[in-house]
Amino acid sequence: MIDEYAIGLIIALIAVIITFVAAIRENNDIHRLIIADLAEVSALAIIALIATDLAEALIIPGLVVGISELMALSEIYLTREGLNSPVKKPFRIEVLDTAPTIIAVILVGYGIVLSGFTGGAVAGTGMIFYFMGKRHAERFALIEAVSGYAWAFWIVAFFIFMVIPEYWFFAVMLAGGAILAKVTAKMSLIGTMRGGNNV
Amino acid sequence: MFELSSSSVGGQELFVLPFGDIVDYFTPYTTALFLFALVFTLICIFSKPEKQLDVAFGTDAIYAKDVTGKELHFRRFMAIACGFATMGAVASGDVFNFTLFVSMVGVCIIGIVAAVKSKHVLNAAYNYGIISMLATVPLFGGAAITLATTGTLSIWELAAIAPAMPWIAKALILIGVMGEGIAPFYAAKAELFRAPGAPYVIMIHVSSLLMFLRVVEIMLTV
Repeated sequence: MIDEYAIGLIIALIAVIITFVAAIRENNDIHRLIIADLAEVSALAIIALIATDLAEALIIPGLVVGISELMALSEIYLTREGLNSPVKKPFRIEVLDTAPTIIAVILVGYGIVLSGFTGGAVAGTGMIFYFMGKRHAERFALIEAVSGYAWAFWIVAFFIFMVIPEYWFFAVMLAGGAILAKVTAKMSLIGTMRGGNNV
Repeated sequence: MFELSSSSVGGQELFVLPFGDIVDYFTPYTTALFLFALVFTLICIFSKPEKQLDVAFGTDAIYAKDVTGKELHFRRFMAIACGFATMGAVASGDVFNFTLFVSMVGVCIIGIVAAVKSKHVLNAAYNYGIISMLATVPLFGGAAITLATTGTLSIWELAAIAPAMPWIAKALILIGVMGEGIAPFYAAKAELFRAPGAPYVIMIHVSSLLMFLRVVEIMLTV
């Protein structure tokens, strides 16, 4: 008798075998790196086949391990190939000079209305667009400080939930605002990554 | 409260720290491994990097390479992290946590190797990293199959059930640990000795050895 789990497992294992064969046959280093990442995705699929909450909880650490290994290996690859100097060719089209401010204002405003993680993501997208369009002689330390304080407020909100749950509404507002500021600040840094001196 | 069914390897439990299902425990066996990892982590923390000597064959000449501690900051940090990961893997009473700690050992070993700015060492680190990324598939796959077939990941509970882990899961975890944590299988180690940084390289050997001993214990217990 073959149940769904066995069928899924067989399919996932076939995918794993195909990936491993590809990894053996591939000679290009960067392609091998990508294939190795593909193999990790299939490992996550094997975990996900269990289809319980526990499996979901196990996927996240697995994902984190995979991403950290991928990042470490990419850095090693860049260092080995001497690819550390950034390619200085900023992307310029006319709309990037005129549109960023208004679009950033709209997105940040909408993000603040949404609040919480989603709002942070929306506002952060606006900030990324702004920083990518405009010159970015910004104060990174300030953005990082805002993000740090926001994190502290977020933790304070959790303590309020645990210690004095009567004030849950205040804690919700605090956590929502803080996570908004934190996600926005973190995401806005992406828009400034152009390989300048401070980045 | 907790009983290891097979006491042939682990022995009597000395200390148990339960976090719900996840139970960290020490038996005389794992305590010995833990202390071993601890001692070598302390060595990595307190020792100074040794100076590499190159002997010119056929002559009396010896060249001393100047290695400062500052150059080796990152390797020291990675070696200490590797020690902590090893201690975590040794004390863990949970199959999935064990596999996670083993992967962390793998990442730390990549870090120890890759901190040297030399092409052949980086090449070795890169190849080792590819293997350790591929090794996460059997490692996590084995843990996942264990969970799917037995419904638990706790080594305590697995030891209590009679046909605990399916052999395929055991084999997968063993292959995964070999690929991830046991560096001796790779040329990376040979390349390492051509790079400066003596006390930190030892951590790779220690963690590989301890990972191997621990995975054997788990395979025999469950």
